[in-house]
Amino acid sequence: MKYNVGIDIGGTFTDLICVSSEGKTIVHKTLSTPQDSSIGFINGIREVAEMADQPFEEFVSAIDTIVHGTTVATNALLTLKGAKTALITTKGFRDALEMRRGIREEQFNNHYRNVTPLAPRYLRFTVDERIDSEGKVLTKFDEKELLPVIKKIIAEKVESVAVCFMNSYKNSSHEKQAVKFLRKNLKGVFVTASFEVLPSIRFYERVSTTTVSAFVGPIVAKYLDNLTNKLESINFKGTLLIMQSNGGVVVPDQVKKNPAVTVLSGPAAAPTAGAFYSQMLGYKNCITVDMGGTSFDAAIVIDNQCVTSTEGNINRYRIALPSLDIITIGAGGGSIGWINEGGLLQMGPQSAGALPGPVCYGRGGEIPACTDADLILGYLNPDFFAGGKLQLNKATAEKAIKDELASKLGLSVLETAAGMFRIINSNMAQGVREISVERGYDPREFLFIVAGGAGSIHSSEICKELEIPMFLVPNVSSIFCAAGMLLGDLKHDYIRSYFTSFKNLDRKKFLSLFNEMKEQGLHALVVEEGVSKEKISLYPILDLRYVGQYHEVQLEAGWDDVMDFNLEHIFELFHQEHNRQFGYSLKEEGTEMELINLRLRVIGKTERPKFNAGYSDPVSIKSAIKEHREVYIPETGKMKSVAIYDGDMPIYGAKIKGPCVIEKITTSVFVSENYDCVVDDFGSFIVYEREKFPKGYHLIQKLQEVNEY
Amino acid sequence: MNIDKILVSIFQRAFKSITEEMSISLTKTTRSPILCEAKDFVTGLYDAKGQMLEQKENLPILSFSLGPVCKVIIEQYGNDIHEGDVIIHNDVFSMGNQNNDVAIFKPIFHNNILVGWSAAKGHQADIGGAVQGGYNPNATEVWQEAIRIPAVKLYEKGNLRKDVWNLIFANIRLQMVQEDIKAQIGACTLGERRLQAFVAKYGMEVFEAHKQALFDSTEKMMRAEIKSIPNGVYEGESMVYYDGKHKGSKFPIRAKITVKKDEIIFDFSKSSPQTKGFVNGAYTSTCSAITLTFLQMVNPNIPHNEGMIKPLKYIVPEGTILNASYPAATTFGNHLCPQIADSIFKALGPAVPDRITAGWNHLLCSLFTGIHPRTDKKYVDICFLGLKGGSGALKDDDGYDHIGMIDASGGVLDQDYEMYEQQTPHLIIQHEYLKDSGGAGQWRGGLGTTTQILLRGGDTTMVVFGDGDVEPNYGLFGGKGSVLNKIELKYPGRGGKKLIPMSKDMIHGIPDGTLYSQIAGGGGGYGSPKKRDRDKLKQDVKNEVVSKDAAKNIYGLK
Repeated sequence: MKYNVGIDIGGTFTDLICVSSEGKTIVHKTLSTPQDSSIGFINGIREVAEMADQPFEEFVSAIDTIVHGTTVATNALLTLKGAKTALITTKGFRDALEMRRGIREEQFNNHYRNVTPLAPRYLRFTVDERIDSEGKVLTKFDEKELLPVIKKIIAEKVESVAVCFMNSYKNSSHEKQAVKFLRKNLKGVFVTASFEVLPSIRFYERVSTTTVSAFVGPIVAKYLDNLTNKLESINFKGTLLIMQSNGGVVVPDQVKKNPAVTVLSGPAAAPTAGAFYSQMLGYKNCITVDMGGTSFDAAIVIDNQCVTSTEGNINRYRIALPSLDIITIGAGGGSIGWINEGGLLQMGPQSAGALPGPVCYGRGGEIPACTDADLILGYLNPDFFAGGKLQLNKATAEKAIKDELASKLGLSVLETAAGMFRIINSNMAQGVREISVERGYDPREFLFIVAGGAGSIHSSEICKELEIPMFLVPNVSSIFCAAGMLLGDLKHDYIRSYFTSFKNLDRKKFLSLFNEMKEQGLHALVVEEGVSKEKISLYPILDLRYVGQYHEVQLEAGWDDVMDFNLEHIFELFHQEHNRQFGYSLKEEGTEMELINLRLRVIGKTERPKFNAGYSDPVSIKSAIKEHREVYIPETGKMKSVAIYDGDMPIYGAKIKGPCVIEKITTSVFVSENYDCVVDDFGSFIVYEREKFPKGYHLIQKLQEVNEY
Repeated sequence: MNIDKILVSIFQRAFKSITEEMSISLTKTTRSPILCEAKDFVTGLYDAKGQMLEQKENLPILSFSLGPVCKVIIEQYGNDIHEGDVIIHNDVFSMGNQNNDVAIFKPIFHNNILVGWSAAKGHQADIGGAVQGGYNPNATEVWQEAIRIPAVKLYEKGNLRKDVWNLIFANIRLQMVQEDIKAQIGACTLGERRLQAFVAKYGMEVFEAHKQALFDSTEKMMRAEIKSIPNGVYEGESMVYYDGKHKGSKFPIRAKITVKKDEIIFDFSKSSPQTKGFVNGAYTSTCSAITLTFLQMVNPNIPHNEGMIKPLKYIVPEGTILNASYPAATTFGNHLCPQIADSIFKALGPAVPDRITAGWNHLLCSLFTGIHPRTDKKYVDICFLGLKGGSGALKDDDGYDHIGMIDASGGVLDQDYEMYEQQTPHLIIQHEYLKDSGGAGQWRGGLGTTTQILLRGGDTTMVVFGDGDVEPNYGLFGGKGSVLNKIELKYPGRGGKKLIPMSKDMIHGIPDGTLYSQIAGGGGGYGSPKKRDRDKLKQDVKNEVVSKDAAKNIYGLK
């Protein structure tokens, strides 16, 4: 028997999923060990081995692949605990990194501060070299310029160096020369340059992304080395793969070359898993949402592909690498309720976190949070939170809501809790709207997949607001990201800037740039990651716009179109895409297009683990009813006694009528008044609006059909 | 009707997200770098009466004229407003704020009843008149500046009025402006669709009642802020230098602010009469300047809707420099904002010393036009890169470095260097913080910048507009002022002439290879430099933004 293991390390819990070659799945959560997260990593494997009834050594030697999502880079950026980083750039441009093009996100708040630059000014050095916008050398670079810089870098005990020169996307010779010289003369210091990280136009995006990579680089490298050593010491002989922000996986050595690819390593797995689940149900498009303690992530999958964007930033640090397009808003179980100066109730974005946590945790929290409201509304069972590991105190939650909010609003405790529930749902719906409607997609045409412990209580209300007819709570919803890690392909993104009108496009150059990226990708996959050639596919992307526009559209094209130089087809695709995103195209006007960048995504397909379907003889659904409890019904605004089902019982194939609550150890699903639920063969819950599915929901039913009703 | 307080919160969020969505769409589709890179535009939603529901104010100086223009349109067209209409407007004598700032309005209907308006206003790269780009320092009448567009329908019931379209764009130099107007119409269509769906979802009655409740709650917040200012009459003055006509001319701006319980009156009656040149404000640019300054002094979480502005009263008589009479030239009007802000801060300083900042850097800006040799096409570029100075410090916080004029407060962005070198023929030599440019103080003024650009292509025209080159901005409570703004041209070749333009100026035929240098000063400091936290001071010295000399002599570092 062989195993694949997915491991997602979060702030509080390390989530694991282990799938055997026979399709048996083990799901486990263990406490994270933030001081050295590799400890929790190994602990988790040890505990899973026990659950699999296997001696540890044998279990480890039977593991084929471990896929790992890490928040090491994310946390370094969030807490500013990265490497001591220097930046070397072109003379005259010392401050671009810190200036951030002069933005102050809160225009009317004079106390709002700029971000702390990842390379402080005294560690930002300039050298006299210059390449112009056509790639021509104006001032030749002389390595001697670096000598005083190297001296200071050593004296200041700098751990990491980023190099970014003007117009290096056109001509990277100076950067290459500088990096070579620095690596030779700065032993033990991490050195990276923009041509390695992001060779594309826009100086600010490039300098920022390169500096992020340098800032997280040494920490990520150290973590990965430590982890590989630990895995070696337990005789792990399989492959360790790391999840990247783009939803693909790579071997650790690839990560070390450009550590910035891991800044979204954790959440990136959710849409990857979403793509898998929606395919199983026969859907091409889905939205995944993940509601945790402090934040709510929403992402989107189109045509079984996770949508990537190059417009992301984390903690206000700009990262222009292709990353899964994930919207994060401050809404979670810990989001606190407060009243603004105009007397309006607000939720979040501040969170009570895990400590002290919501008032009902009894760990010293005094400000009412979302979980307190959920408890009062009956959605949570005070005696069965995390399977009973944490006793929730309803009385203190009620008192806090009364004192802090209800008395000031002139509402009852129940009304206030219902209001908190509604507002946070509305906030989350806005997040979903942002990832869908504002990208030009109609969320009603998507399968809505809910992950995270807190999400499935709130999802029917989010769906109602956006008129989404159904949602799916996967069987592994609480460790959804870990599951997604087992489903990621090996993925490498490359980019070449080629700024030209199509009139002046040089066919040879166009083809050779693509071929160059292809070679690079094949080398990484075949030589370094051992993928066989037939499992490799190529996805070219062209950054295009109408001549005169400033922002480009990333257009996916076929490899054949590119190699055949089939521009007409590419133009046609572009008009269509522009029309879809912005409501008009300039096809009829005959407006010309221009090219900014060429990109190539090279994917090596990995083996999908097999998930086994559940038992064929489900227990009688009645026996799964644990009790009846009063819960809040949003449609009527009243409490009502409803059935509480045990979701951990094997109730595969069951149809459950709403309103009801389905309780699992790791999560609760609230099925509201106008909804029903079916359980699929994998133990996932599909909750649907009764009116939209008059014949009930059938597992293979397509959403398009639904919309015809 | 019973007001559902929770629904009121949801309304506020929804309006905000709609205007933000409109803003994103505009950023992505427009062509002029002034719009898509610098974001010199605003989007908004209004109710059927033209009352503001929400705005996305990238450049707030444009923003608070949209509501008044909307009311003008409603009055002008009366019952002749139909679904599918698109109305264009820029006229400063009917509530526009600047000729270049062209607004598009779309009425929004639900069941054939007008329920609101969506609007998008952006600074166009050209607006006709005598000078490409719209800034004509020699202008004395509006027609020398721009084509006037009073409210007129571009589309009627969904049909393009090709004749009107052609008439307008026959008077504007750049094709790009047509494309950018199409993008603005697109953004308004998005806003229309979203608000329509929203009203359909909740129904008219609920919409009207809860919208009003949102206004009321917001107004309550604003009134509470005003109430926290001690009652009294406060006066402050600042100076505008040079009208583009008469060397050494000066024009005082005088604010008299009356705070009476929860109301505040901004009276600028005693300000200078209007000038003969283009250094004149339009009524709404002045009201925007007042509003955005006051917003800096109150709770930043107050939602932006009609309730927010209702307690603010403006007295700006016609014929003054802040509200010039027809047919005065007024293109400079937006840039009187720094002086208006100064006069308000100075006036309210004694009442609320903890809420005001020291002086912000005043805008001094240049605009280049010419032919790009690589594309053979005309370009217009406002040099946002060079103009961003620092903001004034305030109690407990340093000023913001390189933020730019208070009219935008960090909402307008520098062009990206590499995109700039693609879009214009010029070569950027330097763009960095300027050492010692932040006014010294216990809290330091934000840093200014130093910029050098090698002007290429030849036959470049440069228009300069702004101020801040005569009087340094001020520090507060012992804090120091900052350095002056400065622009200089050095023509190519040995002994090539040096030229320092006036603060309102136009220079033609600048040869290839001329070096353009600009200093944008920092913000003023707050509190005595001697009280500056020593660790922060040492950090500033280490980062070379404060010199060792200044640390010793001004801050008293031992």
